[in-house]
Amino acid sequence: MISFIRLRRVLTVAGLVLGGAARAQSPDASVAPVRGQVLDATTKAPVPGAVVRWLSTTTDATTTNTQGTFSLVRPAGSDNRLIINFLGYLADTVRAGGGYLRVPLRRSGELGEVKVEARAPSYSGLTPTNTQVITSRDLTKSACCNLAESFETNASVEVSTTDAVSGAKQIQLLGLDGAYSLLTVDNLPALRGLATPYRLNYLAGPWIEGIDIIKGMGSVVNGYESISGQVNIRLKEPEKAERLLLNAYGNDLGKFDVNLNLATRLTDKVSTTLLLHTDHLGRRADRNNDGFLDLPLATQYNAFNKWKYNSGRGFVTEIGLGALRETRQGGQLGFREDVPGPFYGTTQATNRYTGYAKTSYTWAGRPYQSLGLLLSATDHDFTSRYGRRTYDGTQRTSLATLLFQSIIGTTAHTYRAGLSLLHDDYREVYRTGFLYPTETPQQRFDREHRNRQEQVPGAFGEYTYQNARNLTVVTGLRLDRHNLYGWLLTPRLNVKYDAAKNTVLRLAAGRGFRVANPLAENTGMLVSSREFVISPNLRPEKAWNVGGSFTQYFNAFGRAATLITDYYHTEFQNQVVTDPYTATTQLLIGNLEPGGRSYSRSFQAEVQVEPVKGLQAKAAYKFLDVKTTYDGQLLPKVLTPRNRLFLNLAYATAFDKWRADLTVQGYGRRPLAHEPGSAGHQHGSDETTLPFSPRYALLNSQLTRAFKRWEVYAGVENLTNYRQANPIQGAYAPFGPDFDAAMIWGPVYGRLTYLGMRFTLP
Amino acid sequence: MKLFASFFLCCGLLLTSAGAFAQSAAKAKGPATETLQLKTSAVCDMCKARLEKALAYEKGVQQAQLDVPSQVLTVTYRPDKTTPTALRTAVQQTGYDADDQTADARAYQRLPECCKKTNSVH
Repeated sequence: MISFIRLRRVLTVAGLVLGGAARAQSPDASVAPVRGQVLDATTKAPVPGAVVRWLSTTTDATTTNTQGTFSLVRPAGSDNRLIINFLGYLADTVRAGGGYLRVPLRRSGELGEVKVEARAPSYSGLTPTNTQVITSRDLTKSACCNLAESFETNASVEVSTTDAVSGAKQIQLLGLDGAYSLLTVDNLPALRGLATPYRLNYLAGPWIEGIDIIKGMGSVVNGYESISGQVNIRLKEPEKAERLLLNAYGNDLGKFDVNLNLATRLTDKVSTTLLLHTDHLGRRADRNNDGFLDLPLATQYNAFNKWKYNSGRGFVTEIGLGALRETRQGGQLGFREDVPGPFYGTTQATNRYTGYAKTSYTWAGRPYQSLGLLLSATDHDFTSRYGRRTYDGTQRTSLATLLFQSIIGTTAHTYRAGLSLLHDDYREVYRTGFLYPTETPQQRFDREHRNRQEQVPGAFGEYTYQNARNLTVVTGLRLDRHNLYGWLLTPRLNVKYDAAKNTVLRLAAGRGFRVANPLAENTGMLVSSREFVISPNLRPEKAWNVGGSFTQYFNAFGRAATLITDYYHTEFQNQVVTDPYTATTQLLIGNLEPGGRSYSRSFQAEVQVEPVKGLQAKAAYKFLDVKTTYDGQLLPKVLTPRNRLFLNLAYATAFDKWRADLTVQGYGRRPLAHEPGSAGHQHGSDETTLPFSPRYALLNSQLTRAFKRWEVYAGVENLTNYRQANPIQGAYAPFGPDFDAAMIWGPVYGRLTYLGMRFTLP
Repeated sequence: MKLFASFFLCCGLLLTSAGAFAQSAAKAKGPATETLQLKTSAVCDMCKARLEKALAYEKGVQQAQLDVPSQVLTVTYRPDKTTPTALRTAVQQTGYDADDQTADARAYQRLPECCKKTNSVH
């Protein structure tokens, strides 16, 4: 049981050829203790009491326990040979690679064997952080046109629509907005800042190899920004990806999606992959007859090219280049971008270019020691219109990180240290469409332009202690010098303790820090008559996050099962609070008021079992308590449900020829803000007088049939055709004072049927 | 109520898929089959899973079973749908030797380290 949990390390290594230069939280094989089991070669019975020691040093030795298992930290030096001795058996010497060792000891003359197995459970038993893994197989459970849909079969991450017009989707972790979780692509921070509103559309599902979701505080290596967690997206690796993957998808709203992945090895050392995506929705659909498009017309072209060079002698370089162009148009049915007429419309056009280079060198004979240089740069530029308002912006980001990792004496003590330099140039122009005759041109310029330049040099260090048995402690500290906000100290701690053979306890604590982008993070509210009132002296957001998880692996119905519960508390010292409650016609954005509180408490329990061979069942319950002080009142965060249920049944026949999937998502009541149209009515300002959305459940289902090269899938989202009755308040007069499309808590377009296929050349 | 109706619909969907599989298994008992035994370069249980899955997607294959210690793959197939040559090619394209024919180079490179033929059977 415990063996396969630990074996995930094998996969981790495979995925992290760049050594320690850019890994997530998982300990890679070069520093993880060697684990294994000693067996009798003929009877396969465990051999307790066998002595396991390194050939090179005589000091580090251990004996196998009653199950015959052992765990031993690695010594410095290149010799990785282990000697295993036991009375009555022949001594054996084996090489300790990255995987779990299974050493059969012979009573007589055959050679020793080493067995390496691999299997990846969705909750890792290895990482010091609470990490959930979404594999590419999980990704095929839903249509997965883009990243937003990737989380549909997962309970930890919420995906919500920001408003009823633009169709933008946001993720939430621990009940906090996506902006509070760090999104990384191949372990480099990506899609930050102004890219936040539509970022989930910018990565196509078929490009993704896997997703790691880390709840709570993670590593200091990737910066100070993560507060609620980290979502790391692993794109297809050039040397391992399929030669060709073609994916086509169409749904009954008229949206089409085409993806083409190509990969090739040019030489033994150089490989490349080209990832292409396009999607198009050209049909105007208004199923709820409110005069507004249920989904905006959209066209996207997206390309990514990745190169990898592996010298085979410790030197690895990876280069990635990406370009994206997207246009969207939503609003009233009669709206046309070139001839708006009297109609309300929203338009967006985005151009994004990104590139990175990662280089790492691993010392020969010392797999635990490496030096890495990570460089990335992004240019994100967009123009958008929401009725009379326009919001344009450019963000240019560059980030350089130099990272060294090694051990102190043995692999029981490892450290990573490095330097980073972040340069961020934000330029935003927000025009309300109104001119005030009293203001000077300079005043207007200041009102409409929000420019910010950040230059943040920093240094960090992370020390990991792991004893070979059951304890891993990761302590990290980083110090940054922000050109606008001075010195920032970010301490973080992760502890993992294996309380029993199949029981894992984890603790995570630390501090996060970020500078808010009040407009980009509230674009949904732009589709409303609410006036944005942004306080002039916004301070950076600071929060502490403390939490932990309990994971129990057990056997149910004769197969492996997992129970995981976790609890996280995030307490903000300062937050840029978005207040829709205090004034019905305004959105007040300002610092957390003095003496006020803002916190999030999140509890989740999830069980995964396999009651019948081939049938995987997942059930989860989540409790969220997210509150902030608004104008002296501690109120729940708007649109965040307090209770959530999740159920996923996945059935696969032998060899995955048929796969069927059913997901049920239940949402509890969510607090809503009073509509702008209700201004003048007397509202009490405590929780009991807030309007709430009803409870509801959504059902998604999908069926896949696999052939040798082809896969065909069909599915239905929102089977019951559940819809929010009036997603747009005041839809009859979108330029009037009652208009509000931001209070969206349920599906807008109802049931969606889709059909798709994949063609693969391995 | 509507919710329940949909729930049953979905359960129905799940069952139909299971039924569909059962059908293909039932068909297997029909026409005459032949058996082919191949010596492969498979070395472990992961190889076994990979080979058996790959063969399951080959036309005309009723059953494929690898005995890891002896490296022998036993394939039950319908001679009217496939040939021993086609089956050998399928094994090669999965990255393994089939009798004296060596594995497809690219498929072999894609195998994880533990599944390469330089390892002894484990």
